[in-house]
Amino acid sequence: MLAYCRNAVGGVRLGIGLLACALVQPVCAAVDGPVNFDREIRPILSDNCFQCHGPDQAQRQAELRLDVESSAKRLRDGVRPIVEGKPEESALWQRITAADPQERMPPTDSGKALSPAQIELVGRWIRQGANWQRHWALEAPRRPELPVVKDRAWPINAIDAFVLARLEAEGLAPSPEADAATLARRTSLDLTGLPPSPEETERFVADRSPDAYERFVDRLLASPRYGERLAARWLDAARYADTSGYQTDGARSMWRWRDGVIEAFNRNQPFDQFTIEQLAGDMLRGATLEQRIASGFNRNHRGNSEGGIIPEEYAVEYVVDRVDTTATVWLGLTMTCARCHDHKFDPITQREYYRMFAFFNNVPEKGRAIKVGNSPPFIKAPTRDQQDQLAALEARLQAAQAELAGLNEAIESGLAAWSASAATADEIDWAPDGNLLASYALDEPATSEPNRPAIQVEGAASFEPGAIRGAVRLDGQSAVNVGDVANFGYFDKFTLTAWIRPRRDSGTILARMTNSSDADGYSVQLACGRLQVNLVKRWLDDALRVEAIEPLALDRWQHVAVTYDGSRVAGGVRVFVDGQPREIRVLLDELNQSFNSSEPLRIGGGGPGPRFDGAIDEVRIYKSNLALQDLLVLSVKESIHELLNVPASERSPAQAAKLRACYLERHAPEAIASVRQRVFDLRRQREALEESFPTTMVMEEMPEPRETFVLARGQYDKPGERVTAEVPACLPPLPTGVKRDRLALARWLVDPAHPLTARVAVNRFWQSFFGTGIVKTVDDFGSQGQPPSHGELLDWLASEFVTSGWNVKSLERLIVTSATYRQSSKCAEALYERDPENRLLARGPRLRLSAEVIRDNALAASGLLVERLGGPSVIPYQPPGLWKELTSGDDAAQDHGANLYRRSLYTFWKRTIPPPSMMTFDSAGREACTVCLSRTNTPLQALTLLNETTFVEAARSLAERVMKSAARSPRERLAAAFRLSLVRAPSEAELAILESALKRQRERFAKDPAMAKKALEVGESPVDGTLDAVELAANMAVMNLILNLDENVTKE
Amino acid sequence: MLAPASFTAPITRRQLLAQSSRWLSLAALASLWGDDAAAGTARDGAPTGLPHFRPRAKRVIWLFQSGGPSQIDLFDYKPGLGQFQGAELPDSVRMGQRLTGMTSRQTSFPVAASKFRFARVGQCGAWLSELLPHTARVADELCFVKSMHTEAINHDPAVTFFQTGAQLAGRPSIGAWLSYGLGSENRDLPAFVAMISRGSGNPADQPLYDRLWGSGFLPSKYQGVKFRSVGDPVLNLSNPPGFDGASRRQMLDDLSALNELKLREFHDPEIATRIAQYELAFRMQTSVPELTNVADEPEHVFEMYGPESRTPGTFAANCLLARRLCERGVRFVQLFHRGWDQHTHLPSQIEGQCRDTDQPSAALVADLKQRGLLDETLVIWGGEFGRTVYCQGKMSADDYGRDHHPRCFTIWLAGGGIKAGMSHGATDDHSYNVVADGVHVHDLHATILHCLGIDHTRLTFMFQGRHHRLTDVHGNVVQAILA
Repeated sequence: MLAYCRNAVGGVRLGIGLLACALVQPVCAAVDGPVNFDREIRPILSDNCFQCHGPDQAQRQAELRLDVESSAKRLRDGVRPIVEGKPEESALWQRITAADPQERMPPTDSGKALSPAQIELVGRWIRQGANWQRHWALEAPRRPELPVVKDRAWPINAIDAFVLARLEAEGLAPSPEADAATLARRTSLDLTGLPPSPEETERFVADRSPDAYERFVDRLLASPRYGERLAARWLDAARYADTSGYQTDGARSMWRWRDGVIEAFNRNQPFDQFTIEQLAGDMLRGATLEQRIASGFNRNHRGNSEGGIIPEEYAVEYVVDRVDTTATVWLGLTMTCARCHDHKFDPITQREYYRMFAFFNNVPEKGRAIKVGNSPPFIKAPTRDQQDQLAALEARLQAAQAELAGLNEAIESGLAAWSASAATADEIDWAPDGNLLASYALDEPATSEPNRPAIQVEGAASFEPGAIRGAVRLDGQSAVNVGDVANFGYFDKFTLTAWIRPRRDSGTILARMTNSSDADGYSVQLACGRLQVNLVKRWLDDALRVEAIEPLALDRWQHVAVTYDGSRVAGGVRVFVDGQPREIRVLLDELNQSFNSSEPLRIGGGGPGPRFDGAIDEVRIYKSNLALQDLLVLSVKESIHELLNVPASERSPAQAAKLRACYLERHAPEAIASVRQRVFDLRRQREALEESFPTTMVMEEMPEPRETFVLARGQYDKPGERVTAEVPACLPPLPTGVKRDRLALARWLVDPAHPLTARVAVNRFWQSFFGTGIVKTVDDFGSQGQPPSHGELLDWLASEFVTSGWNVKSLERLIVTSATYRQSSKCAEALYERDPENRLLARGPRLRLSAEVIRDNALAASGLLVERLGGPSVIPYQPPGLWKELTSGDDAAQDHGANLYRRSLYTFWKRTIPPPSMMTFDSAGREACTVCLSRTNTPLQALTLLNETTFVEAARSLAERVMKSAARSPRERLAAAFRLSLVRAPSEAELAILESALKRQRERFAKDPAMAKKALEVGESPVDGTLDAVELAANMAVMNLILNLDENVTKE
Repeated sequence: MLAPASFTAPITRRQLLAQSSRWLSLAALASLWGDDAAAGTARDGAPTGLPHFRPRAKRVIWLFQSGGPSQIDLFDYKPGLGQFQGAELPDSVRMGQRLTGMTSRQTSFPVAASKFRFARVGQCGAWLSELLPHTARVADELCFVKSMHTEAINHDPAVTFFQTGAQLAGRPSIGAWLSYGLGSENRDLPAFVAMISRGSGNPADQPLYDRLWGSGFLPSKYQGVKFRSVGDPVLNLSNPPGFDGASRRQMLDDLSALNELKLREFHDPEIATRIAQYELAFRMQTSVPELTNVADEPEHVFEMYGPESRTPGTFAANCLLARRLCERGVRFVQLFHRGWDQHTHLPSQIEGQCRDTDQPSAALVADLKQRGLLDETLVIWGGEFGRTVYCQGKMSADDYGRDHHPRCFTIWLAGGGIKAGMSHGATDDHSYNVVADGVHVHDLHATILHCLGIDHTRLTFMFQGRHHRLTDVHGNVVQAILA
């Protein structure tokens, strides 16, 4: 019923413990056979004794360590815990067999107890000399010799020799090879996550050549679907999701990272290089875009943006997550145990934990994440397609710019001629107005500008001559309310400009902000003479404030401009005075959510700050970031008319620029104007294209590493000793002289001599085929982990993997072409009794499919599947109200069309409300790194397969597909459906049941055709109107039955 | 159906398989919703030897008040606070305690006394706010724990801590632990049901997350099943359009027949289980609507639970469903009522929250009592933390807000195993610090498990090399409140 990571559950000691032990021993240990310390004794000591007599110094009792040989055998106060060969003289033996409960170990209040069999085993081990070995997983694997087997005909490759040797020792024989169709389905599901098409199956079955299967496998390995299948489990390990988790759980964008993983698997990137790029791609010399994207592996963790959190607390959690995930995925170690104290079972101290922590603690990040979107650091990550488009646009833009430059003489002479002729003309003024949202001349009280809401003076205001014609004069108590204009939020780009002549050094120039202590909205103000910009959701913990360092002058007209680029960070705000950028300082950079406000836009007031005392003129608001050139032009207060009357030699560069810009836009001849327009258009296109680029979060190193401290009890606010980056002493050292950074760590992991990386990786690949790893605890190779069922096979595979150049496809090819893998999963009941989990591999794997394969399989069989690789995540059918019932936000906007039928790994993953059907079939929740999944069998799964829209629609489409195929008779159609879904022909017994079911359904729908029509309405794919509704509905009912067969959700 | 005693007889899987399909369904029945103890197979991995001792409660109804109700305005009467009204919270009270990022930069921390009147209620004489007139009527059934405290200061970690014993997501929820440990009393319903309602006092309040009733590292079959108020109460419960119950029945018979062919060929016990799961799914299609259809409840019951009890999805309707689930032996029912996060406008918001919850909560206790179920059902009412005595944001005579406060807050318990009509623990004059008999969240968990006959140190699951517990390495049973 269940296969999950651990067998031994607290409370179930004897029965299961022995069963598990017996199964994983090389040979069922005879009563007096040699005891293997590493595989039989250490697990007992670890689970029962290490807590108080193990690596954790703080918890250690009686100064005794049972994880270290010297301590376990040392004479201390006349007592020796273990006396080789003499259990009776060994204190350990005395204590575990003591009749007196006060004496007996482990103590009763520990909740632990040794079984009689375990006690006997320990006694036997001591009697045999108490030999000691270092924990196997910490010793580098050596490539073992192939064992000698009796049945030399069976093995196909090395895997089989190891498996068969064990079977022969157990007195078992392997199962016969599965039939071709079963094998085709199994291998295709395992390598691509999809069933083979009937044509592929036929081609394979018909292929009589000796290497037909190998060639079939090679075709699957070459399929783009292969990378998708591998990526699915990698996404679980990488805790990939489309939202940030925690309370707010806003959307983020990491799909470029996901697509990079698929691509890497598809092009069979060597696993060592893959590892380096996932962990430290950003640090490679001359890192490519794809390598930087790959480093996002360790940005996939959750980010907390809840208001009021203490950022330092979560900054620590992010690093902890990176350490734990990296340790689980590459080292197979439960390093997280050492966060709060020395590890209780494995030789990792708390200090060593924080030295690992130091590798990941140098990201320029904040503890409080952005509510919606990616939190820094992130980069623009154009797809290859977009990169090509950009290159093409750039080329065209450069050509157009060159053409315009070539027209320079013509422009100069044209400009001179126009200046001369227009000097007397009545040209009033001109200003750049692309992307202009609103402008307020503020010339006179009754400014009624067409198509704009009327402005309203709050308090006393007068009008007087200004920078450009009239200006409004405010007294520090009043403001001009211009209504619901410029409701910007934190994703919006904008530019705000005005002429000001302040009388006092503090006052609001422009604001859309509530007059409350929270002060949400935005404002541009003078504060002690400095121009200050505020973007605020809640003062002070959700706000951004920057100010120009140099104060403005009083009683003088100055042009001020502020631009914000929608990046949500202080670095996205720029301040200009008189057309020149000003140096700014960041006072607050804590903006986490949008600052939209329902307040009107006010000139001279708004928000809790003092109102403006002085004159304001010519307020202009743009919904883009103006170019420097435009800001320069705006800072020219003279009108075109005035400028024309200034002799050319006396015009300032800004004035000259304004004239030239005006000429080009309004007065240049067509030959010039069209080229200039083209340049503008291309620039706009480039900007729009760049805007459309997805972003993705990446790793980045701060120039100076952040200081790392040992945290007492793992708490962020309890720093102790300062530590630097280093790997734990129980593992091989980093090369001397190498800088201790993430890149060095990544390279160290894939050193061929590393004892863990290759074993852990190979074990996880193995698990994906056989359901259980050779080491069942794929996430724990430490002393609490289970010993390998086939230790030598694991080592051989690890060595082979490294020797092959970390070649993943070749490793998987080796596995699926083995005789072991090819065995039939049909077996006698007795074998299920003897080896329910198939640890001995006397049969092929028979396992329920993973959540995504179940759905993809139904889509593929029905012909609905859309095989498009990569792209933003999609939202297929979702029960109405699913998000709404738990949040105050809106429901997911379900996709339509092709996006309903994409492979499941593209389904939008909201961490706090994951897709229910996926969770019902035991998907990883993606909150944290997951490398082993449970496989349950529940009624909710039945309800999903029976009634969920996707599966019901798939039944209808499958019915349409077979009715439109060459199959004519009901029998032929049923057989066709079997071939599409189960990749085999139905038996006579099955056909008999299905035929009568079809007949019954046909009769039922014939009696009530309206019912048939209703049945066909499920799902958004169009119903084929040419098919008879009653016949289609009847077939659909039977297809629903077929898609619910146990076999249909099972790999056989 | 066989008497439950039959399940305790040792039956091997092979014997089961050798039986008819009736036996097949029994095989699965015994393993459903976490009730593995009877299945007797090692692979199911459920713990044995439970309960550890005689349970005082068979099941739990937890009325979780999400957002953090103000203890100062509801339960923790501080008559002396009025004289400090508007005065700065003394440093001697705050003692450098960390504040949330929302108020930590506040320059002033003025004391805001509750504007609500308190009175002694019931025989027990407990002080209760005027906001809870119905609760007052059942006060003699309740045990008020006034000295609750927690570690987290923000919603997500605090709710997660209450639900799983850890602040970060990833551990099993308490309901999942109980499903795993005790299984279900009902063969046709889940062992653990969660229901959600939105607070009318603060409808746009903090969200909830599926993980709050998730199974963490336990197998996913132990996760809570969320009953929904829109559409099917359980997702995908209804047959698709055009398929009625009769045709489903025929289809399932055909499905069983086909799966049995497969079973005979492959002998994989998973197939037998799947056959039985389809049977259970079919029964759920009857048992769940029968459960959620309250038409058979008499008028006076609706009156008792209040007018909203007729509106699906309200807290009142969920309380009524909780009682029906309890009658059917569902082990753990958890209601989540949102809207208690009163940073601003506390007086008006909390009135709405109390209107939602006061009457139905009290009705549930009284209803269980009159049906003789209260003795064996543990009812818990409370949120993830309390609220500060100092005001957040603007303060006026009639209006104030309060920030999160983990240092002390009040919950109440009632029923199975708990002393009725008592108050436990005490806080200082500002309701800021616990001064007597503090009860940590781990202690509460240990106590709940104790009432259900479980030694919290012995309900464990091996994950990543460690025997994990709900209470981690902490927790003491609060003996003083046990009956």
